[in-house]
Amino acid sequence: MRDKPSVKGYAELMPGTDETLPEPAPVPEYSEDGVDLSLIRWTLSLTPEERLKFLDDRIADILTLRALNAIE
Amino acid sequence: MRSNSLLAILRTLAASEAEFVLVGGLAAVLQGAPIQTYDVDIVYARNPKTIARLFDVLSSLDAIFRIQPERKLHPAISHLAGGGHLNLLTRNGPLDLLGTIGNGLHYEDLLSYSSEMYIGESLKIQVLNLEKLIQLKEELGGEKDTAVLPVLRQTLQESKKHRDRPTS
Repeated sequence: MRDKPSVKGYAELMPGTDETLPEPAPVPEYSEDGVDLSLIRWTLSLTPEERLKFLDDRIADILTLRALNAIE
Repeated sequence: MRSNSLLAILRTLAASEAEFVLVGGLAAVLQGAPIQTYDVDIVYARNPKTIARLFDVLSSLDAIFRIQPERKLHPAISHLAGGGHLNLLTRNGPLDLLGTIGNGLHYEDLLSYSSEMYIGESLKIQVLNLEKLIQLKEELGGEKDTAVLPVLRQTLQESKKHRDRPTS
């Protein structure tokens, strides 16, 4: 059975590849009932005006998509 | 021409100086809940002044009843005085006017559970707080209300932490 190639080996084969692995992505944070806490923290970081604008923009996006898919 | 803007509806309502409390999904969104909603829900004071002001608002927004929109039925003052639920469609999107909410709570009952919120620098709206919104949805217990409860509860918890965080 062959050994798995090491990270260093891969870096040697692929020019320009950094020898060090990137930092792992942060683990997503969910509440016990499955709510995405990072999303809540993001919306809390916005002002009420920004929250409302974001909502209005998403509604506009949905209406645009609906119009694009409308059957004549 | 109808184009959706919940902000435009709120601006028109606020400019009228009618007495109302913003409730429902939009109240939750303004307090940081990442949920989707499509309408403006308000509970209004059923005094003659507010009813007259809201009637003017509805006229300026070209409001019609959402049920059977093809008939273009416009609400009358008597509908507003009746205090029921008016589900309307305006030039800027859906608007629901509620005489009461939950277990028969009127505008006056909701004032102590609400606070003024600035949206931008000039727009000031009375908004029902998250604690009361959660309580009302728990009492209603409908599928739609129950589904959104975990997000509202977590938003309330996170917003408390957010408020308690020291500012540098």
